[in-house]
Amino acid sequence: MNQSEEDITLVERYFDEALSERERMNFAARLAVDESFKSLVENEKILINSIRHHGLREDLEFLKNIEKGLDDPKVIPMRSSRSWYYVAAASLAAILMIGLFFRPHSSAQKLFAENFQPYPNVFEPTVRGTSEPTKRSEAFQAYEQGDYSKAVMLFNQLLQEKEEAGILLLNGNANLMLGNVEEAKKNFITLNADFDELDIQSKWFLSLCYLKSGDMEHAKPILEELGNTEISYARKAKELLKEVK
Amino acid sequence: MNQEEIILKIKTGGQSELAAVYKEFRDEFLHWITREYRCSADDGKDIYQMTILIFYDNIRQGKLQHLVSSVKTYLFGIGKNIARENLRKEKKFVSIGQEKWLWEHLTDEPSQHIDEGIFARAKLALEKLGQPCQRLIELFYYEKKSIPEITDALGYKNPETAKNQKCKCMARLRKLFEQETTSSSTIFNHESI
Repeated sequence: MNQSEEDITLVERYFDEALSERERMNFAARLAVDESFKSLVENEKILINSIRHHGLREDLEFLKNIEKGLDDPKVIPMRSSRSWYYVAAASLAAILMIGLFFRPHSSAQKLFAENFQPYPNVFEPTVRGTSEPTKRSEAFQAYEQGDYSKAVMLFNQLLQEKEEAGILLLNGNANLMLGNVEEAKKNFITLNADFDELDIQSKWFLSLCYLKSGDMEHAKPILEELGNTEISYARKAKELLKEVK
Repeated sequence: MNQEEIILKIKTGGQSELAAVYKEFRDEFLHWITREYRCSADDGKDIYQMTILIFYDNIRQGKLQHLVSSVKTYLFGIGKNIARENLRKEKKFVSIGQEKWLWEHLTDEPSQHIDEGIFARAKLALEKLGQPCQRLIELFYYEKKSIPEITDALGYKNPETAKNQKCKCMARLRKLFEQETTSSSTIFNHESI
């Protein structure tokens, strides 16, 4: 493979981000039609990725050595995994955020309807017939059965006795299902302010409350924050942008 | 240390900053990931190490210039993404395979096919390149150090010398890669006869 020195310098400058706007345009145009040039660019990319891989590998070994000198933190077992929803909510945040920038405000209600799903009861799943029902078990059971009015009534009583993150989250969801947007907002704001856990969920549902009430100004920054929590979203956002253009 | 200071430290610093960030969020992250995804502490550590490397690399490559949320939120977001992808592919939680994740992080497009043979040859070429060339191009392409910074770090006479040296090292690497490719296709041709 004999490449001209000129082409090699051009490719090197491209990867060093040293090309002018005009040079970049010419570069892209040539890449589309010149197979030999394309192969040169691909090989350079492979070499640069290999260099970066080597660096990452060395840093990984460095972290592994650090890890050897550290004690294991105590692991607290959890009752139930809620990862699927946690992840789905954050993913939707990115998509919804893009939607907000390209749709008129009037469609906020539609976006809300498309994206809102009540959070499942993963905190105290109902086990029927095992013991005498209590106010607490009835509240969770009502929520699971979709009896949101009863759930809200009982959750509010429980919250007056003691604030709990899981109950605040479910109560907010039940209020949203009933259309009590202002009550739901209060639940999620309290959850976000008073607890360290469930912060992403509280922000996600709070953003939906703002959407439901057509308050785009407050919804956008929360969705932007959620959309920035995962690196893969940048790629998804780019793909979506291409589609909407 | 605020978010901007952490980013600046990572950009300008070295492995000591990497170690500091690793230790700062480690316990909280491991608590969370092992509970959330029901994985072992060792699997949690594998995910955390990848998370820190991706965070670090995104800053160095200029993909992450300022944080809207906290560093913790960003790290948990990356960790969640790794765990989720792993669960999606494997149906249940198994060890993540750090090597595979390193390559996936390096490829830009989701559908981009990774030709392991080509990368193996590139790695061989890089090994044969030797020092100080290997260190120089790693500082430039991996750590994203500027030419003046490399001049100081490796003790070159001036930035122009460092820049010329970088070009020479890359030319040598291209040649070694070409040799590896030629020799591997010769072996392949012999084997197929």
